[in-house]
Amino acid sequence: MQLDLKTIEAFAPDQASLGAAAKLTKRSNWPRLEAHEQLPLIWGECQGSGSNPYRVAFDTSDHGYKCTCPSRKFPCKHILALAWIGATASDSFTRVDQTPDWVNDWLGRRRKPGQPPAAAPARAEGKSIDEASRQEEAPPVESVAAAERREAAQRKRAEDTRSAVSAALDELDQWIADQLRLGLAGFVDASSERCRRIAARLVDLKATALAGRIDELPAKLMALRGEERPDAAIRELGKLVLLAKAWRAAPDDAELKRLVSASETRDQILANPDAVQVESDWEVLGEKIETRRDGLVSHATWLLDLKSTTPRFAVLLDFFPASAGRRSGAFAAGDRFRARLVFYPSRNPLRALVAERLGDVAPGAWPTFVPDAAGDPLAAYAAFQDCAPWLSDCPIILPAGAIALDEKDGAWWQVANDPHGIALPVAGSVHQTLLGIDLAATAALWNGARLELLASQSSIGRLDLS
Amino acid sequence: MNELDQAGLARLRDGWISGGAAYELAPAEWKEVAAASSADEQERRLLAIAAQALDVALRPAAPKSLKRRLPLPVLALPMLPERLRPLLRAALKYAADARLKTRVAALVASRGFVLHPMDWMPAATDQESPDIYAPWVDWQAGADSEKKSRNESLTAETWDDFYPAARRSALVDLRRSAPALARTLIETKGASEPAEVRLALIELMRFGLGADDVPFLKSLSADRSGKVREMAGRLLARLGERGNPAGGGSEDPIAELAAFIEEGKSGFIRRRTTYAPIKPKSQAQQARRADLFATCYFGDLVARFGRTEPDFIGAWQFGVDDGADLFLVRMVSVSGGDAAVASLADLLVAAGGRLALLALQLMLRLDSGRKRALIRQILNDAQNLAALNMVEGAEAGWLEWSDLAKGKAISALRSAISGDNDVTKRNAEQHLEALGFLANPMTAEKLIGEVVAAGLPPASPSLSLLRLNAALTENPSQSDR
Repeated sequence: MQLDLKTIEAFAPDQASLGAAAKLTKRSNWPRLEAHEQLPLIWGECQGSGSNPYRVAFDTSDHGYKCTCPSRKFPCKHILALAWIGATASDSFTRVDQTPDWVNDWLGRRRKPGQPPAAAPARAEGKSIDEASRQEEAPPVESVAAAERREAAQRKRAEDTRSAVSAALDELDQWIADQLRLGLAGFVDASSERCRRIAARLVDLKATALAGRIDELPAKLMALRGEERPDAAIRELGKLVLLAKAWRAAPDDAELKRLVSASETRDQILANPDAVQVESDWEVLGEKIETRRDGLVSHATWLLDLKSTTPRFAVLLDFFPASAGRRSGAFAAGDRFRARLVFYPSRNPLRALVAERLGDVAPGAWPTFVPDAAGDPLAAYAAFQDCAPWLSDCPIILPAGAIALDEKDGAWWQVANDPHGIALPVAGSVHQTLLGIDLAATAALWNGARLELLASQSSIGRLDLS
Repeated sequence: MNELDQAGLARLRDGWISGGAAYELAPAEWKEVAAASSADEQERRLLAIAAQALDVALRPAAPKSLKRRLPLPVLALPMLPERLRPLLRAALKYAADARLKTRVAALVASRGFVLHPMDWMPAATDQESPDIYAPWVDWQAGADSEKKSRNESLTAETWDDFYPAARRSALVDLRRSAPALARTLIETKGASEPAEVRLALIELMRFGLGADDVPFLKSLSADRSGKVREMAGRLLARLGERGNPAGGGSEDPIAELAAFIEEGKSGFIRRRTTYAPIKPKSQAQQARRADLFATCYFGDLVARFGRTEPDFIGAWQFGVDDGADLFLVRMVSVSGGDAAVASLADLLVAAGGRLALLALQLMLRLDSGRKRALIRQILNDAQNLAALNMVEGAEAGWLEWSDLAKGKAISALRSAISGDNDVTKRNAEQHLEALGFLANPMTAEKLIGEVVAAGLPPASPSLSLLRLNAALTENPSQSDR
């Protein structure tokens, strides 16, 4: 079926979606736009508000679609924008004869409808593609007085937020002192309830990010053995004390604001001249997907810079509602690509956005990184803590080693060729086959107590461990 | 961190765990840093110092008893090239159970590669995976010290140097190349093994079974294990040794079974003898007949009628009683001689239709040529393509396009895929998986084209094994090795 604007108009769930889609029809929003030479399929990657692009596919014959964004509108603005470009600027699509794996996955799962879609009605009620286009073409011009009023309101809001957050941190300080007075044994047992209460207070006082972190503390404690929990509580509560002190000393610090109240938007990061930008070849080490108590799913995609002589990492972090269901990421473990990343300003720049994707990179081994002079695989972690002692998870590259088991079948990473050498406990269970494979190098997250394995290089190639 | 700091940290920790002020328990230097106007603030500052000490200065103490496994053995074939692993993973994902996953491994092995151990590993008890995986089976079963590789010959001296799966594989090879040598090993080494292991060893005698094995098999009639005696008896029966020479008498099961079979004549000019099952008169009789077919040997039955095994098979009236047909075929499979198995398979395959499917009961006894003939017949009929999944021990990757194009299979698949019936469509997709195992690369490639043209989405997961097959060339390039 021929794609036309009338069809898209009828297809849209509401006028707002059409308006949002109109803004996304600019070519610059789409690092990738492709169409199949023979099949009625178009797909692309749209740079949305997340840290990595959304993957959007559309079947022009039956209007089946797939988008990885968390929107609850069906179809979402990305689908509408893709179809819109397909209808008005089909030259924008590169013609290819192969579909990428993620499109194949979707095609394999979907069941086509028995009948082709009905033709679009003559007039889609309450929705107009012309109106959506006009909104896009002519943004309202703001008067000087209005701009001043808006800026004043912004300053006032910022001041209110700062006062509220300061009060939140006072309450947090008092709460921590109370936990020490009441005893950490009791805190560990009742952490769920106690953390919930203070987290709710922090949300009221606009320390939203901090509230989310405290909400996750009980789950972190419960993941450890009973005898390890008090130490873990000391570590995390101590870090919160340090974070609160750091924020009081520099409330306008971008990193501290992000950790305590709210993060910057994607546009703010891209517009920030101080944000570090790195153009390099990157390998996707693995993903860490966690469902949080506040109903959000955090999706972290860890990347390794393949051109740096010392290990350099980046993490693409996205949040979406758990109710939106399972979401496929833009990247698969092991993918390699060239890209320009923009890092969120930070003492240890890790969180990043893909500003520009510049093509794929051939698979291969990791570079040989210069090891720490003292041979300490956790030297990078110590340096990380020196800069930002309030953070936990630090990506590291471990030297040659292997996985061994303790008497309780707990897994440990152990340095190679030295049965008495350094060994670090591994979080969760490991693939049993891993016990028989010598690891030439391993990428992992170390949080001071456990390693979360991401990927390894071995004599039998790359191993996905996340 | 010095010992004093560590002791101080331990005191602080104990104090906070039980609750209350812990400031006075801290090391002197820490107290100096943490000094503040309020008691709460002092505690918080100490907490921050303690957190950093735990985080950076202390490392988890590794237990002394950390155990490492032996390195996973390197197999004799190269690993599947990295570029083909996505296709392989898709094929493994689509394979619904362990048997079908093993079949994927068999296809890959037939093209000269083994799978990456993080993609697939045989189970510790696996006896169906290709022999190349025997070292991994033993590793999975907990092999905890290095033993000889498969390159070492299996002899009485090296017997204990082999783990069970590797030994089984070596014995099968030896039975095929030097059956007497293998028999001697089974005889000398098996005697001291427990009944379960003995049974598994005797079962291997079926490879390269010959008249020279008779004395040894007869000696097993005195074995302690009933199952071993039964297995030896069946093997002897296959060699034409009568298991039940005593004829007649009310306790004679052969006579009892023969009573369920009616001898007759057919043909006007050239009269020939026929044998047809007599319909049992009750459920009890039916059960008894099934029991007799399962326990008596085919050689004894045909001797009761004074015929040779192939003659009796030729005279059997198939189609009179489906149950009796099935019992007879199973009986031949278990205790019939090689000639009987071959003539029965030829007869059933030539008959086609439902009768051809009875040959599935003979799979373990058939040579590869007859297995291929059966598969071709199933494809030709296209009535029961699901039977392709039941062909045990079929070879991978040999099916020619002409084998498919000659029969009705292609048109049946095409009409199922283009039709509206979801059940038929799903079944057709399962048949594609079976064909993905049997086809050669060119056939796989052409078949994908056919079914996609018929309307199957090009990315359908049911094509994954066919796609892997098509991508696995017969002779891997040097760069792939």
